[in-house]
Amino acid sequence: MERIKEVLNNFDMEYVEDYKPTWVKAKLKNKDDITKVVKALKEVGIRSCSTVSPTDFPEENRMEINYFLEDIVNKKNVWLKVDIDRDLDKCEIDSITPILESADYHELESYSTFGVKFKGHPNLRYFLISRDYYGKFPFRKDFDWEEHEKHLIENVNAIAEEFFEEYEENEKTVGHEDSRTVLHWGPTHPASGPIRLKVYTNGENIEKVEPDIGYVWRALEKLSERKDFIGTIVAVERVCFMDNTNPMICYAQAVEEIAGKEITPFAKYMRVILGELGRTVSHLISMGGFFGTMGLQTFLMWCLDVREYFLDALEDYSGARIATACIEPGGVRYPLNDYKAWFEEINKAIEKWEKTKPDIEDIFLKNPLMTTRAKNKGIFSHEDVIDNYLQGPIARASGVKTDVRIDEPYAAYGELKMDYVTCENGDARDRLEIIYKEINQSIDLIKQAMVKIEEGIEKGEMDPKKDHLVKMPRRMPAGEAVSRVEWARGEMLMHLVTTEKSTNPYRLKIKAPSVNHTRMLEKLIPGHSLSDIPLLYGSMHICQGDLDR
Amino acid sequence: MSVWEMLFYILVFPGLLFLLAWTFFVFYFARKTLAYIHKRVGPHYNGPAGTLQTVWDVFKLLTKESITPKSADPYLFNIIPIITPLVAALPVILIPWSPAINGGRPILDTDYGVLGLVVLIGVEPFLLFLTGFGSHNKYSFLGGMRILAQMISMEAPFFLAALSPALLFGTMNLYEIMYSNNWLTTLILLPGAIIFIITMLGILEQPPFNIPDAEQEIVYGFYTEYAGTNYTLLKFAEFTEILVVSAAAVTLFFGGYRGLFFDSFWWLFLKIAILALIMVAIRASNPRLRLDQMLKFTWSWLTPLAILNLVWVIFAKLYILGV
Amino acid sequence: MLKVLDFFNYARSKSPWIVHFCSGCCSLEMLAAMGPRYDWERYGYMMTPTPRQADIIFITGLVSKKILPALLRTYEQMPEPRYVVAIGACAYDGGPYNESPSVIKNMTEILPADVFVAGCPPKPEAIVAGLEELKEKIKRGEPSASSQGGLWKQMKF
Repeated sequence: MERIKEVLNNFDMEYVEDYKPTWVKAKLKNKDDITKVVKALKEVGIRSCSTVSPTDFPEENRMEINYFLEDIVNKKNVWLKVDIDRDLDKCEIDSITPILESADYHELESYSTFGVKFKGHPNLRYFLISRDYYGKFPFRKDFDWEEHEKHLIENVNAIAEEFFEEYEENEKTVGHEDSRTVLHWGPTHPASGPIRLKVYTNGENIEKVEPDIGYVWRALEKLSERKDFIGTIVAVERVCFMDNTNPMICYAQAVEEIAGKEITPFAKYMRVILGELGRTVSHLISMGGFFGTMGLQTFLMWCLDVREYFLDALEDYSGARIATACIEPGGVRYPLNDYKAWFEEINKAIEKWEKTKPDIEDIFLKNPLMTTRAKNKGIFSHEDVIDNYLQGPIARASGVKTDVRIDEPYAAYGELKMDYVTCENGDARDRLEIIYKEINQSIDLIKQAMVKIEEGIEKGEMDPKKDHLVKMPRRMPAGEAVSRVEWARGEMLMHLVTTEKSTNPYRLKIKAPSVNHTRMLEKLIPGHSLSDIPLLYGSMHICQGDLDR
Repeated sequence: MSVWEMLFYILVFPGLLFLLAWTFFVFYFARKTLAYIHKRVGPHYNGPAGTLQTVWDVFKLLTKESITPKSADPYLFNIIPIITPLVAALPVILIPWSPAINGGRPILDTDYGVLGLVVLIGVEPFLLFLTGFGSHNKYSFLGGMRILAQMISMEAPFFLAALSPALLFGTMNLYEIMYSNNWLTTLILLPGAIIFIITMLGILEQPPFNIPDAEQEIVYGFYTEYAGTNYTLLKFAEFTEILVVSAAAVTLFFGGYRGLFFDSFWWLFLKIAILALIMVAIRASNPRLRLDQMLKFTWSWLTPLAILNLVWVIFAKLYILGV
Repeated sequence: MLKVLDFFNYARSKSPWIVHFCSGCCSLEMLAAMGPRYDWERYGYMMTPTPRQADIIFITGLVSKKILPALLRTYEQMPEPRYVVAIGACAYDGGPYNESPSVIKNMTEILPADVFVAGCPPKPEAIVAGLEELKEKIKRGEPSASSQGGLWKQMKF
């Protein structure tokens, strides 16, 4: 920590201060220094860029850019701020992508939505946004949404026009002479979901892959600025429905930090249980989907069967199967009127999983055909993980010990017994196995948390009917907060900015892991054959919901 | 053979009606068994226990719009689905179906039965390649190319395995092969039968060799552009081929319609159903192989094994049967 | 003649095949509806990999502007008669994304749906119930709503 501060103090800083146990917060005075600072930080081990988040202040005519830089090995992070001019022609800064690769897509995103030009970016282009927003930078505060909305049909036609132009261009550049062609893997493809991979193939061999994203772009970050602090959880949980509880925990923590409130121990343990239920539900689909990519539906069906029982538990508590909206700033939303009945429900689900486990191990995890296909395919080394900032299960499958639940304990994770779950090889098969191991870990955590709650209630320390929620102020003070959780697919980071006496977020940046994982496809897939696309894609456990937001 | 007899063969058994009934049965059977392994129920509400589901599916498909894509070759695209089921159904005349038909012999009782069978079965993938070629769709074309690669590499061991009973009994007449079979020869032919069943999966594009119509990779392979009637015909051809190849396997290796206590068509049917069950069980528990893995498997394992199997059969003929 | 047509309408209503198209979160509940507990194959529903063999397309929740051309193209590739089922609040008016500028709010004006399924996301039972409604409509031989009009005819895709 001291070392990082020393490095930062070598430069012209407005302030350098500690923020949470693992962060250093600093503000740079001169935007031209940014590449030098990042280079110096890289030398002390900070090699991953989590995200780049601009915040627009039109009154002060400045754009504040927040860099979240992380050292995933030594768990030291830097939150670096810098102000730049807001006017479109002067709104530019040096790109850090040549130094930290993992900033690539995040910078593109900032450019497309805020118009921050990153000088020196290897391929600065519009990204994520649909064509009708090209050159309009929709996340700026002064962008006129209503006006834009009036021309719906023209906008959609413009988007379609882009596809036609691309087709013409492919006709010209690829031609019909040899065995080269461009395949569009998605968005209508049976295994893709709403993402499009432009696959340049030569026969069955893949030469190049370009992901085209934005098919489920809902502008959640902008949407949350229009909702109040409670209403934002509706937007936040829709980041991805597969694991919908953890994003809400992340958001709620950020709001609580700004309001300066501490939640009750009961609510903390409830968050652990709900979060781990969400993770299990998501992992079950990921695990089944992995086999689905190889044309085997049985495992997916078995996983769905188990998943229903976990959804029952969520439904029992919140009244909804997957759109639970059960965690809000201040704790958890509902009191637990009959905690024994609910625990019984969870135990039923766990029992179902334990019963299915031996079959899963024997038939699927040891399946010889799966092993021949997935073993030694798409290996990520330690360095790959750090440089490209792969997170969550993908990183842990390569043996990198990173897990926000342990590195920066939130909710009640600090009081529970848990250890990093890792695999060694980092190939596609390990990325399946890690998921299986993590489900077991989650279930262990749920059990521990249930015991703690039961003990607490027996001792009279917790009251499940009253302790669930702390009263939050209606209007928030000005401030900003960064909150991280370990989401089912990796680290989720939210950067919340509020203004004085505000009723709604001023800016909410949601950083989700699938962005980096999708970027990795560009390097992962070329060189393999056409049959490997679904397998490798499935092994990255990408969800388009959090990719596009 | 009278005209009425011939018409009966063509239209009822073992011709059109029988093949249609088989198609209805096997589609329902596969869906229901697969659903059972998936822990689901499968078709249930349409007809008693869902038995009418396939009937409705077929009638629906027949009345759907049959699309010919603008860029496809209209003649090739529409003619192949008519030829394919005919070619697929041809080997039916070479197989002895039942003691009640033609005195228990195949309708076309020839001394080159095995040869005719493997050639007629082997020609089918060519036609499916043409469907992919005529669709003028990248995915269809890739499916067509994959089917060619798979056919070439699968048919060598397929032919060699089909030869082993002919070699053992010294005849290519399917009726005689069937009647020469006994428990001992079935055991001798078991390695050949296993190779035959594995290659059968490849030729029928069944998992783990369903590479040409791999949904997750190339949408639906050569089926991608087909709709309505054409699709029905192609599917009909596929199921007919399943019937024919499994019947060939049963006739060559497991004694055809001969069974315990009495000989009947139902023995044949039971044996075919067991083969179909094995196919569904493999489909439900194994992921798909990659194209290059399939090629490696067939050329460096299956084909040499099939040749070794022939050596074993000759050895067995000389020293075990002592002919 | 009428009886024959009725028979075919009946057959159609009994075997609706659904094209694999996912444009939003509600497809997760479709997955659940396929799964062991709800198993819509009991009623004869089946997923097809290509639109060429399908009867029904789902508007699975939100439709962003970028995916709309792909959706319409998929719809156009389906053979007649074809039906549209809109599931989720987003397909009706944008639902929770009503204020989001990149999501289409009047989806069913663009591509009129035969059946709406309410919910955000609707439960699997509701999806199956909605499809059963559609079956009744097919059985009566009514033309699909999307063939009657809609803004999709003015759009490029």
